[in-house]
Amino acid sequence: MNVKRSLRFASDLRELERIQSVIKELEKEADWPPDLVYQVNLALEELVVNVIHYGHRGDPNHEIAIDLNWEAEKLTIEIVDDAPAFNPLKDNPEPDLTSKLENRPIGGLGIYLVHHLMDEIQYRREQGRNHLTLIKRREQ
Amino acid sequence: MDIDVERKNETLIAQVTGRVDSANAREFEQALSSAIGDDRKVILDLGNLSYISSSGLRVLLLVAKALRNKGAEFALCSLSDPIREIFEISGFDKIIPIYGSLMEVMGE
Repeated sequence: MNVKRSLRFASDLRELERIQSVIKELEKEADWPPDLVYQVNLALEELVVNVIHYGHRGDPNHEIAIDLNWEAEKLTIEIVDDAPAFNPLKDNPEPDLTSKLENRPIGGLGIYLVHHLMDEIQYRREQGRNHLTLIKRREQ
Repeated sequence: MDIDVERKNETLIAQVTGRVDSANAREFEQALSSAIGDDRKVILDLGNLSYISSSGLRVLLLVAKALRNKGAEFALCSLSDPIREIFEISGFDKIIPIYGSLMEVMGE
């Protein structure tokens, strides 16, 4: 079964609820397991919030596009935004995961979590837009 | 997201229900800091937490640091599998004690 969804929304934290409801629809329609639902929710929240906060610096007059494609072997998600070039594969510092509680820096975990939860991430800059593709292979 | 608080054997137990994300992380932070007083031991029961993202982890790290500075104890319990996975990837399981159940952490 192949299920697709496309979302276009303003660069605004209040739009996160729309992402959640699309994931809920896919969960029902494509019978997603709970851990996949969690991982997709988390990946989309972390990446979209990053674009809203750092890419568009809180300016809601920008559009973010998300396309989800659920196929036999994998889920592919593409996120497109018109923020300044940001390649999360290169431009994101590795977080400190080993310091003691007292010295552990606050923040910087979002994109790191996405790396761990997705099987593949690809980035390209095309016509002034960031295109981020996430791939999660289906468990057979 | 809701937080229910009770005090038992000089321990503050806060039960978190629902989801903590970028949209309500600030509210979560305020609710926790107003619930925690001069308690020497604080336990967050996350058994009814359905979702947490890095914005919620950030709040937990702030709370853990503040309690450590005051010399108070802090622990988490009853994490679901996907949430435990997030804590492990983030390395939080190495800096905040995590117990299987509230009974276990209360030593009952």
